[in-house]
Amino acid sequence: MVQLTRRNFLIATGWVAGGVTVLYTLRNRAVAVAPTIIIPNKESGAAWVQIRSDGSCLMYFTRVEMGQNANTGLAQIVAEELNIELEDIEAVQPSTSDIAPIAVTAGSMSLTAFSRPTAMAAATLRESMRALAAVKLGEPLSMILDDAGGFQTADKRKVSYADLVDKDSVMVEFDDTKPSPALYTFDPQRSKKQVGRDATPIGIRGLVTGAAVYTADVPMQGVLYGRAIKPPVRSARIASLDTSGVAETSGFVELVRQGEFVGVVCKTPSALDAAMSKINVTWDLKIPINQDEIDRLIDVDAEMADGDLEHVLQDEAHRKDADWLIDLRFDVQTQSHAAQEPRAAIARFGDGSGAHKLEIWTGSQDPWGMKRFAAMDTGLSEDDVVVYAKRLGGGFGGREHYEVERDAVILARAVKRPVKVQWTRKDEFTASRCRPASAHRLRIATDDAGNLSDWWYGYITGHVVFSRERLPGWLLPVARLAGDMGVVKGALAPYSAPHQRVEYKDVDLPIDLGVWRSLNGAPAIFAIESAMDELAVQQGMDPVDFKIAQMKGKQPRLQVCLERVREMSGRRSLPHGSGYGRGFACGIFDDRSFVAVSADIHVDEIAQEIKVLHMCCVQDVGMAVNPDQLRAQAEGNMAWSVGMALLERFEVADDEIKSSNYDNYAIVRMSDMPSVDVEVVDQPSIPPAGAGEVALVAGPPAIANAIRNATGFRALRLPIAFADISS
Amino acid sequence: MKLKINGVERQVAADWQNENLLTVLREHFGLTGSRFSCGIGQCGACLVHVDGIPMTSCLIPVSEVVDKDVLTIEGLAAEDGTLHPLQQAWVDERVPQCGYCQSGQIMQALALLQNTPQPDDADIDRAMSGNLCRCGTYTRIRKSIKKAALVMKEAG
Ligand code: FES
Ligand code: FES
Repeated sequence: MVQLTRRNFLIATGWVAGGVTVLYTLRNRAVAVAPTIIIPNKESGAAWVQIRSDGSCLMYFTRVEMGQNANTGLAQIVAEELNIELEDIEAVQPSTSDIAPIAVTAGSMSLTAFSRPTAMAAATLRESMRALAAVKLGEPLSMILDDAGGFQTADKRKVSYADLVDKDSVMVEFDDTKPSPALYTFDPQRSKKQVGRDATPIGIRGLVTGAAVYTADVPMQGVLYGRAIKPPVRSARIASLDTSGVAETSGFVELVRQGEFVGVVCKTPSALDAAMSKINVTWDLKIPINQDEIDRLIDVDAEMADGDLEHVLQDEAHRKDADWLIDLRFDVQTQSHAAQEPRAAIARFGDGSGAHKLEIWTGSQDPWGMKRFAAMDTGLSEDDVVVYAKRLGGGFGGREHYEVERDAVILARAVKRPVKVQWTRKDEFTASRCRPASAHRLRIATDDAGNLSDWWYGYITGHVVFSRERLPGWLLPVARLAGDMGVVKGALAPYSAPHQRVEYKDVDLPIDLGVWRSLNGAPAIFAIESAMDELAVQQGMDPVDFKIAQMKGKQPRLQVCLERVREMSGRRSLPHGSGYGRGFACGIFDDRSFVAVSADIHVDEIAQEIKVLHMCCVQDVGMAVNPDQLRAQAEGNMAWSVGMALLERFEVADDEIKSSNYDNYAIVRMSDMPSVDVEVVDQPSIPPAGAGEVALVAGPPAIANAIRNATGFRALRLPIAFADISS
Repeated sequence: MKLKINGVERQVAADWQNENLLTVLREHFGLTGSRFSCGIGQCGACLVHVDGIPMTSCLIPVSEVVDKDVLTIEGLAAEDGTLHPLQQAWVDERVPQCGYCQSGQIMQALALLQNTPQPDDADIDRAMSGNLCRCGTYTRIRKSIKKAALVMKEAG
């Protein structure tokens, strides 16, 4: 089954001689790993796992690391397949020259798409090593049994991986059209050693000692500091530009103007700040930038009064004139990524002595995309460009475009020196492509027995996913895979009615929009879960019972989550006194991830604030490769839920983005953070699905429903302020 | 112009004397564990101790810390690499997600424990609310601070 061949590829890609490598080639486009930007050919297959001549294992990370720790999960899979410990694996973040292109890290797809190919690569390596062991021990293959770090025979003759690998390089070729070896990871009968345990994330030591290297930390001889001005929106054009005095700044090196690009390079960061502050620019805008304009564009009621919305997701025996018990409009605000690391890139053009003419260091969700764009941008061939993917200080969907990289490339080329660009915090707020504001109209009617009879949901949102104007054709298929359905995420409720219609429209808004954690999932599910809660309360029903009943026997995994979160929250009683309340909500992300959340809140009349006291979260995303990291993601999503429900308010006015830093865009801080309990439902026989953004869909409505429970106030607009309740 | 960083005396070259402390630490001395995030004292990612007082280094001109003692995250572990109890608790509780804020979080927690060796939740809220973590690792930070406090108490 497995063929051993030697290939020049090893040397060509810089692999040291001596060791066994698995080349996992994709010939069948339909396999899970299909988001690869370019389907690797035979020579450029993705060499992900290697056993070196000392028996140690080297693994290339196939994901960009931004806190989701998906690579640790994938390393657990490699360890499971190879019968080794996680500590035996040396993990390396590859450059774009080390392995074949790999898709953008986005959409919580990492484990979904990469767990199986990773397991196959490692299992293939294991089986080829077993073949070597059979020769070495002079036994038939079937007599070679697994052992820690190698193999053994029934009579306990042992051979380690190190014993089996000689100095020569051996490459095991395997592709997805060949039959797969046994995958331990996906065998529900097997009791696993690595998969399913709370493994400590790889590289954690560097994160507590300061040694971890983000882009701006990369040491670089002779580096200069650069930055470009950012327009309020990308469609803006420079109306007037005054750069007088810039060149006189002490430490000034160069002013670069290229069409709409205006950038400065200086010797130190403070010189750069001083020089940039002297640039005066005014902009021509196509549309005015202000909240009224946004509100007008997403006015779902005006649009629905005019007729049908542009797209229909569901339409079954729809009746316009049902006897609506619920007829509510929900408005969800614009939000920013506000990742703690302002994006950065370093670009260096070579003197011709190195292998590459252009080197870029960046924390991008899409290193291969950056390479491609940089080549197109500079006219270099792709082979001349290398991108070193660095750890991201938070991604959340905001780090997919070729932008800060472009700033660095243009400036470095102009000054013929390496240039480091790090956006200011204001640049981050202005240009990170927000989660759009949206408006949702939900109407619900019931039959005589109180079951849903009619459901009519219409909404308008700004574009969510990479739009065609912003994206070159080659990236579109990848974009579609990663989240083309961004605008419709969450729109189909887990509840059903005999008469139902779901329709929507996505529009251009006057600010730049993009992918933000959960896409449209959190806004849509906020509307749905709030409306269902309101209906239950108005009918005198328990909201959890009512929701489960209205799933009408479907969605068993979601029902389990809801039941369990109710039980969990019940272990702690709400404090007595007025203003305390508990709310529940549930949701499905991408058809495969299920979650239910409860929130205990206090509306404090004296302190004049809404405080979230405690949240419980039950999450089922299939196989729990690393339960602790699933809990960590859920905890983070609870923080984001508090922010979305109560705090985050992105402000635009007077043709400007007003939110510019953490002093005028509040995110959750320690004192806002509730205590959180998370339970993970493990499903060993269901492949892992995304966990990075699922819990965010249920958190905000759970908080809103808790406020309803405490005060009778139904929140129709996020974020909810204390003053909303009293008025 | 000289200052002491993590116990080592360092000379600030002429070109760097107009910068803020964070820039000098990172760009001049290569101590990149303190991070830039907001630049206006609002997030704590750049937090270091100056003569034992926690300060956001993005706001301090380096000229103001001449001859002072600066402690950064790089100076926290023992010379043999043994982690400080706070760092160890951070590992044990698996606090970091993206990790970008965590140097500042740990340095702020260190200041808290120096003043309040056994902090309660309100103490932690008060001391830590200027340190932002977009990933939302707060519940684990809280747990780790309490854990480290216990370890340090037992160690005397
Ligand atoms: S970077 Fe100094 S406080 Fe935010
Ligand atoms: S761990 Fe990412 S910002 Fe704190």
